[in-house]
Amino acid sequence: MNSFFTIEGILYFGAISLSIIGLFGLLVSKNLFRMLLSLVLFEAGANLVLVLSGFIRNGIAPIFLDGNSGAVMNDPVPQALVLTAIVIGVGVQALALSLIFRVKKHYGSMDMRTIRSKLEREIATQAGVTPPGSNEAPAPVKLVKGEAHE
Amino acid sequence: MNSLVLLVVLPLFAAFIIPVVAKFSPKLSLFTGPVVLCINLLLIMSAWIKVGSGSEAIFLGGFLPPVGIVFYIDHFSLLFSGLIAGMVLIVWPWDAKESRLYSLYMLLSAASFGLVLSADLFNLYVFYELLAVATYGIIAASPISKVPNSSATAASLRYLFISSAGSVMLLLGIAIIYTLTGTLNIAHLATMTTSLDGFAGLSAFALIAIGAGVKAEMFPVNSWVAEVYGTIPRQLSALLAGLVSKLAVILIIRMLLMVFQQQAAFDLLLVVGMLGVISGEMVAWRAKDMIRMLSFSSIAQLGLIFIAFSIAGSKGLWIGMALMLHHLLVKGGLFLMADRFAGHMGKLKGLAKHSPMAAAVFLVFVLSLLGVPPFPGFWIKLLLILNLAEQGGGLYHVAIATILLATVIETAYIFKFVRILYQKADADSTPINKNYSSSYTFAKLFALILLVSMLFVSPISNHLKDIANHSASPHIYINKILPTKQLGDRS
Amino acid sequence: MTKYSALLFISGLVFLLMVITGLLPMGHTPMLVGNAILEGAKDQVGAANVVTSVVLGYRGLDTLGELSILFAAASVVGLVLTKSSFNKHASNNDDKHDHHDSGFVAVNAIDLIFPLLLVVGMYIITHGHLTPGGGFQGGVVLAVAFSMLVIVRPRRVSINHGMVSIIESFAGVSFIVIGVVALFKGQSFLQPLLGHGEFASLWSAGTLPLLYLAVGLKVGAELAGLLLALNTDEVAS
Repeated sequence: MNSFFTIEGILYFGAISLSIIGLFGLLVSKNLFRMLLSLVLFEAGANLVLVLSGFIRNGIAPIFLDGNSGAVMNDPVPQALVLTAIVIGVGVQALALSLIFRVKKHYGSMDMRTIRSKLEREIATQAGVTPPGSNEAPAPVKLVKGEAHE
Repeated sequence: MNSLVLLVVLPLFAAFIIPVVAKFSPKLSLFTGPVVLCINLLLIMSAWIKVGSGSEAIFLGGFLPPVGIVFYIDHFSLLFSGLIAGMVLIVWPWDAKESRLYSLYMLLSAASFGLVLSADLFNLYVFYELLAVATYGIIAASPISKVPNSSATAASLRYLFISSAGSVMLLLGIAIIYTLTGTLNIAHLATMTTSLDGFAGLSAFALIAIGAGVKAEMFPVNSWVAEVYGTIPRQLSALLAGLVSKLAVILIIRMLLMVFQQQAAFDLLLVVGMLGVISGEMVAWRAKDMIRMLSFSSIAQLGLIFIAFSIAGSKGLWIGMALMLHHLLVKGGLFLMADRFAGHMGKLKGLAKHSPMAAAVFLVFVLSLLGVPPFPGFWIKLLLILNLAEQGGGLYHVAIATILLATVIETAYIFKFVRILYQKADADSTPINKNYSSSYTFAKLFALILLVSMLFVSPISNHLKDIANHSASPHIYINKILPTKQLGDRS
Repeated sequence: MTKYSALLFISGLVFLLMVITGLLPMGHTPMLVGNAILEGAKDQVGAANVVTSVVLGYRGLDTLGELSILFAAASVVGLVLTKSSFNKHASNNDDKHDHHDSGFVAVNAIDLIFPLLLVVGMYIITHGHLTPGGGFQGGVVLAVAFSMLVIVRPRRVSINHGMVSIIESFAGVSFIVIGVVALFKGQSFLQPLLGHGEFASLWSAGTLPLLYLAVGLKVGAELAGLLLALNTDEVAS
């Protein structure tokens, strides 16, 4: 068990807290955009944990320059990994954003609960059954203007 | 042997050039993908013969492991590579209007090949993410005709949130493993299992299992299943439920067999598997239409696979592999023919009379799924239960009870469905959809394979046993990938 | 109710993760692979920036996979946001927002900065094997430069989508071709070629700068495509 009151302890604490905040937000928030932001935080925390795994106290950046032949260098591998992970994260976030645009356009709402219940009703209507958990007949799916003349 | 990296590289290459090719000749872009997959099939076959009963390692970039990335090739990975190429060919979107969709299918197959071949933990994560992103795109871009265009997008978005959270957990698990051991090569990790023995190592495994479990329809993280399968074409459901879920399972069991041979890890899979079996069957029992029933029964089957993998050593891999192949055939076939049984269950009365062939094919699949004696499903379930009984410990016996209970529930709902099919038609019945579709032909083919394999149960199972014995052994794996342990313990 | 259960779940998770963190060897990790790379990178790859050796040499396949992910994401965004029905609907109520150029300051500042941004981006890409930076960072700078032009003059400047897709295809294909050339020479996929050159000079580290150039172009094209797709949609709604 090592102490939290060192520089790496504080860094780890911050990284883990960040990812926990992200996961918490992902679980409790209902707004699509906030969920996306929570996902970003969660990812940022995980990336920090990953890059910290190559942290050496008093280490320098792993670049061979003229004056640093004897110095201790940080682990280059996590830095490369985190570069990859960040770019992957950017791709996924952009994708999520575009899906959110389209979902908002169709359902007119950013609330996950509304969207989920509407989605379930659409699936049930398509399958020809009453949606789970409701007694009334399936309501006709409301089409947004512009979808109708497809 | 080095050329086997083309399995991954060729589809990527095709994916990059398809958008440009489509500008000049849409026809050509349509055929690029299938041609590449056929070349891959040839490569796999020649490698299958060359590898024989041994295995091979490819060192990418010429860097010896553990510093570089390694591909590990044996009959297990080649078998699944062949299945990937075949499945993607079967579900290839011939009538898609957008060439970008072809690119996405190519990226999906490249990622799948990478997932079964790679022996590097972070490389596996990259391919897992590529698979995920391609899947979101394919789901969002191909809704079935009857639902509004955007509901596939909404399903895809919900899937994205769950799956991305899973990927981040996978990344956290990898970070913890790297912090503890300082390496990412799975064979290298297998040589230092002692440093992963503690609580931190186990939690890393749990994070990886739950993270990859999203795609494997694992118990707590599978709420996307019904929504996604309800909004996408049936062929695509066959691909996702039949194949993509297995790839995630392969990722988990690679880690389990090579690195985390601990009782706690096995127990974790066992509990998660049992919960999946029970919850899946309960919801499937209440389902009113075939797609929902199949979706949840798929969750239950994946739970069964996790139970099989909780048996330590090569026996677990043997049974698990048989279950995976069986599930791929049965669930793939059922999803492929599901369009014939669309709509509310009560309206399908008399279907058996209209199309006796479809009903017979359906019956073959579900009887094997239940495990009725002559069918392959019976032997696999028997083997699973016998081997679970051999394991010590109360948890394994609970698992047997769970499987038997699940079989009872499964029988109840499946025979309810079969009885409806064979009832007399009444005014309420929908006329059967007799349009020619290629996917129904493939479903018949799957049923034929299932029936033929019934005759060869013992040679097939012996062959699978050989493959499993070879693939489940960490010694062979380590010796092949790290021939000279030139690094040793430098710390 | 769900909030409380989530809270409970999270607090358990916090506890677990803190325990795990306590168990980790913070600040003195084993670095088995890391040390091997730090020792061998100079002779095996020949790039002064070891991170670049890892990104393009030791773990080149990861980089290819990551480019593919960006490509997949850009394709999906294109696919999702350019569905015909969607655009038709969007363009109906478009006319009431007439998009003028941004103000005098923004327009002139961007005109001034744009060439500088291009130079900086290219510098970062071409010196990726010597200094911190490389294809990803430089590519982002390039993408930002081009999308700024569009943002300040939404009506007059537009970037040709066909051109963007040709650049991204070309860059991805050349990355793979460089890798496959080694395969044809009997070596392994993505093995560095062309010798190492003089250490720590611009012409060193074999094919790595070429690979980074491909990465930079690809990332630049993908991100510009992504930004523009999201931007045009926002304008339309």
